[in-house]
Amino acid sequence: MRPYQEEYIANLKDIVMLTARKKPAGQDFEEYVKGLLQNRLQAEQKVKRNMELLREGVFPLLDRLFEAGEEELRELQEFAGNLLSGTQELDVGLFCQIHQALLSLARSQRDQAGIIRELYWMGIGRNSICNKLIGLDSAKSEKYVFQMRLCFTEAAAYLKYYDALEDAQTRGYIFRSRANMALGKFRSVSDKIRLLKQTLQIMQDKEYQEKTPQLPWERYIYMTHQLMASSISYDRENTMTPQDITALMESVYIVYQKRLQEAEKNGEPKPIRSAFHYYAMEYYCGLNTLDELLTNMEKLMDAADLSDFSGESMYGIISIPAFYCQYLQEFPEKIPERKEYIDTLYQRISYYVDRFPDANENESLFLYLRQLSYTFVEMENSISYKKFLQRMQMRFAPEVFVHSHAVGNAAQVLCRILLEEEPAFFDDMEHIRRIRDREEKKKAVLEYARECGILHDVGKINFMNLYSRTGRQWFEEEYEMAHMHTMVGEACLKTRESTRDFAPMAQGHHRWYDGSGGYPDEYIRLACPYRQMVDVIGLADWLDNVTEADRLYTGIEKNFDEAVASAVEMGGRRFSPLLTARLSDKKVAQEICKALAEGRREAYYQLFTAGKGRAL
Amino acid sequence: MNKTIKAAERVSFFMIRLIELSISVILFIVVRYKQGGIMKVEKENGKELHDTDPRQAELERMNTALEEALKAAEAANQAKSNFLSNMSHDIRTPMNAIIGMTSIGLSHIDEKARVQDCLLKIRTASEHLMSLVNDVLDMSRIDSGRMTFNEEEFSLADMVHDIAVIMRPQALQKKHRLSIHIGQIYQENLIGDPLRLRQILVNIIGNAVKYTMDGGQIDVNFCQKTEEMDDRDGGRRFWLLFSCKDNGIGMSREFLERIFVPFERVSNTTISKIEGTGLGMAIVKNLVDRMGGQIRVESEEGAGSRFDVEIPLMAGQGEKRTKLPSGQSVLVVESRQDIALKIADYLAKEGLEPVHMDSGLQAVTWLTEARFEMHMPCALLLGQELGDMPALELAAHVRQLAGPDFPILLVSEEDWAEIEYRAVRAGINGFVPCPLFPSRLLGTLSDLLEKASEDEETYTNEDVDYSGCHVLLVEDNELNQEIAVELLTMIGVQVETAENGARAVEIFEASSPDYFNVILMDIQMPVMNGYDATRKIRSLPRKDAGNVWIVAMTANAFVEDIRLSREAGMNEHCSKPIDPKRLQEIISSRMK
Repeated sequence: MRPYQEEYIANLKDIVMLTARKKPAGQDFEEYVKGLLQNRLQAEQKVKRNMELLREGVFPLLDRLFEAGEEELRELQEFAGNLLSGTQELDVGLFCQIHQALLSLARSQRDQAGIIRELYWMGIGRNSICNKLIGLDSAKSEKYVFQMRLCFTEAAAYLKYYDALEDAQTRGYIFRSRANMALGKFRSVSDKIRLLKQTLQIMQDKEYQEKTPQLPWERYIYMTHQLMASSISYDRENTMTPQDITALMESVYIVYQKRLQEAEKNGEPKPIRSAFHYYAMEYYCGLNTLDELLTNMEKLMDAADLSDFSGESMYGIISIPAFYCQYLQEFPEKIPERKEYIDTLYQRISYYVDRFPDANENESLFLYLRQLSYTFVEMENSISYKKFLQRMQMRFAPEVFVHSHAVGNAAQVLCRILLEEEPAFFDDMEHIRRIRDREEKKKAVLEYARECGILHDVGKINFMNLYSRTGRQWFEEEYEMAHMHTMVGEACLKTRESTRDFAPMAQGHHRWYDGSGGYPDEYIRLACPYRQMVDVIGLADWLDNVTEADRLYTGIEKNFDEAVASAVEMGGRRFSPLLTARLSDKKVAQEICKALAEGRREAYYQLFTAGKGRAL
Repeated sequence: MNKTIKAAERVSFFMIRLIELSISVILFIVVRYKQGGIMKVEKENGKELHDTDPRQAELERMNTALEEALKAAEAANQAKSNFLSNMSHDIRTPMNAIIGMTSIGLSHIDEKARVQDCLLKIRTASEHLMSLVNDVLDMSRIDSGRMTFNEEEFSLADMVHDIAVIMRPQALQKKHRLSIHIGQIYQENLIGDPLRLRQILVNIIGNAVKYTMDGGQIDVNFCQKTEEMDDRDGGRRFWLLFSCKDNGIGMSREFLERIFVPFERVSNTTISKIEGTGLGMAIVKNLVDRMGGQIRVESEEGAGSRFDVEIPLMAGQGEKRTKLPSGQSVLVVESRQDIALKIADYLAKEGLEPVHMDSGLQAVTWLTEARFEMHMPCALLLGQELGDMPALELAAHVRQLAGPDFPILLVSEEDWAEIEYRAVRAGINGFVPCPLFPSRLLGTLSDLLEKASEDEETYTNEDVDYSGCHVLLVEDNELNQEIAVELLTMIGVQVETAENGARAVEIFEASSPDYFNVILMDIQMPVMNGYDATRKIRSLPRKDAGNVWIVAMTANAFVEDIRLSREAGMNEHCSKPIDPKRLQEIISSRMK
């Protein structure tokens, strides 16, 4: 790599470290906050430096890509490879940008090997994006799945010209693309299984193997079986045909046997992941009941070692519980008898995650936790979903946590002013209207405003690579993708009792007051009984974003007075005129500015105490 | 704020006045109509009294006839009274909405979104009121014999597409499945009164939508009768056959007998909010009769209705012959077999070779192989259902795979105006609306292929005259400059170069007005960058400073970069490395 490329990578790694949640190592609160702010400043400087490196190094190179020499192209590929590796995702956006440029170059030069290779890497980049969209309605996220699948499909189509493409590495990309076509969600599990069956037939074809003996055929075949084994759907009656089950059984058995042999050979405990697939398969075949499957899963979860942070253990402690809860969501009649177990399960996970070394850098851990969040089972007298999300935010997105608290505080100030002038201002919301006593109502509104602030950006957890861990400003596609945090947030909040009332805030806080701009289109202000609170959160969120939180990634940066002036100017269009009318009062503006700062400080304090207490 | 309130008050005042006037007109017409009906009976009565025959039998016969006439008149009178009562209700309903929403709007005058919502509802209610007025006026015209018909050439395809655009959203609102099938069509260009014809068809389909419970099925069919009739002027006539079948509430036998009587409406407790005058079917029947056609209705209460209309229409000019490259393949991607077969049939009849795929992934595999083996199809026709992914996702990938000139057509039921932005962005360059007419499919395909071959010729043929095109290329990188100059001069463009923004401003300032058609502007340059140079150019005191087309050419892809280039006054953003075809696209688009 060129020095500027190395510097860029090093900066990205530093930014991940600097923005990660820190435990107060013997510091008092003031020292702790000072340290955090210093880290933040350093991270900002590194972001700015990275922007310079891109503008001076990478972009000019992409500008003149047609004249770049072989060495330069090789370095660029190496640089891209460092942005997204199997275990660490440093900058998937830039990774895709570079491979898109290299794909264009290969297409224009009609370089078949280049086209195949770049299509493969584009597919890998897209797959990484797809993993962020867990929990989102598939209709909204499938665009990214299609983009990924189209890349892999085009690369795999070159299989027909296997003989003409003599280079073994290119042939390898073709087979890997062929298997990766089965990544991501399918409209029908049968389609996925059929595709994988065909892929296995192709890979097991001796003719292909003999022509390129240097390719790791066994590994390819084994990984395809693994992909097949992970295709198990929780809905066994409706989605899989008997033929699908047979194909699955074969793959699950092969993977399980191999993992069992490896574990025995290395003196390791029983392999958790493949054992789960094996038990699940027995359930699908009708050899076991759901109760037996759940009991087997409990055994696997209990057997996982809480002091072991390997992939296998992590799967047993976080991912299997996610599947376990998914079965329970599907068959809620099974929940009452397992209440206690579920409660212990969440506590174990909490304990494990808090002790996980460099948790922020581990993509798999983060992916499993998102799965867990998606299938969370909420019960009385146990951890609520609201609490779980707040802890996730605190642990994995401390910057979002701080921003959310600031927004909650500012929202309280605005609500207090509105209620003083018009006590029934928020009475469109049924749970507020029901409260008759004026003081009680005020108290309820203010508490609700605070929690709305805290939860409005909960969808950002899925896109942490775009927020606090981003080492540069967003690209246009990322900007569009960041918009999805509203939909992801709404999707997860609306399905649980403890968070249902906060879903409209997550959905609507970026939609303009008059509906002429913002996102998402699904939020119709006038049809939403929570709209007055959404307006409040939208304004408080914007003020904090342009002055503090998102300014580096969007390129929109203002001081507080400028932000207030802009907001007032946008009253009636972007923001509610009822709110901007108040904001134009200098005293109110100052109060909000103070509330934002205090909210941030309160959040830092919570991080400080939580860090001491070692809670998730 | 006071001003806004006053303006809104003024609007609502005029609106209420307008509505008052509309009601006066309706009531006046209705009362006149009602009086007219009664007077006719009185006249007949009078005539009877004057022409009395002394024979008793004849008197009895006449008396019986009179009694029947009186009964009919009383029934008609009753229907009209009911109508008047219904109309009062029907008028009051939208009026309530208008007055109510006006008050709400006024009390929330400072909330733009709320006022906008009120105005939209007022518009809907006013439109409904207008349709009531129109129906009454139409009936009055028919009754007084003042209804006239135009004789003009029209396209059946256009008319059917217009109807689809009108009816689909209404059907969608009630979650109906509205299928419009096109059968055998011999002549698309016809002569008749398209507005009245549309009125007939929209009325019938509209009733099916109205009188079908949510989530119903409505099947509409259009075809033409094979039998040709010689017109006395030597022209040819075809029968347009139209049918509309629904699974709605249907009609009783008794009502079916009165369906074409004015002012009659189906009453059904399951559908409580049917709106209308009850004149629609009477108007339809009258229009069909006057066009020399026939209308038939079959219906069963609770099971649905079926309307069949046959109307003779004169043949217009024959369709324009399309020029299509016989023997070439066209890839058709559509999972619905009936549509795919129809497309394949139309293409095969023109000598093309359709290749059908069900899914996007199959299509990409096939196209990759076709590209490798150098036998690319001449176009891709994308249906609206691909089985595995949305058509636009596939289009975007194929655009990359097959290059910028490859024709990609979308065949869809959706309203083009609604999807155009997304479709064009995805790389679609032709649209064929459904229901599918061969003329539209083949015409669009032919136009696109012609354009693609012209572009190809233009690109490869150095003799094409681009000498009138002047481009200012602003680029500091020598090699990039050399490549772009080479590409541009190859097609005959006159290129001038500047190595930085400041030099570009000087050259532009020194040029005569409208000399440069396009300025290709790099962003990062020494002395003066592309943004500043653009701002300078835009601020120059000359006529063309504001409208010369400036294109940012850069690999800088941050959202801020794109926003900054727009804010600086650039018209579009072209990513680097430079794609020769994209460059030519820009030039040719500015030369149109």
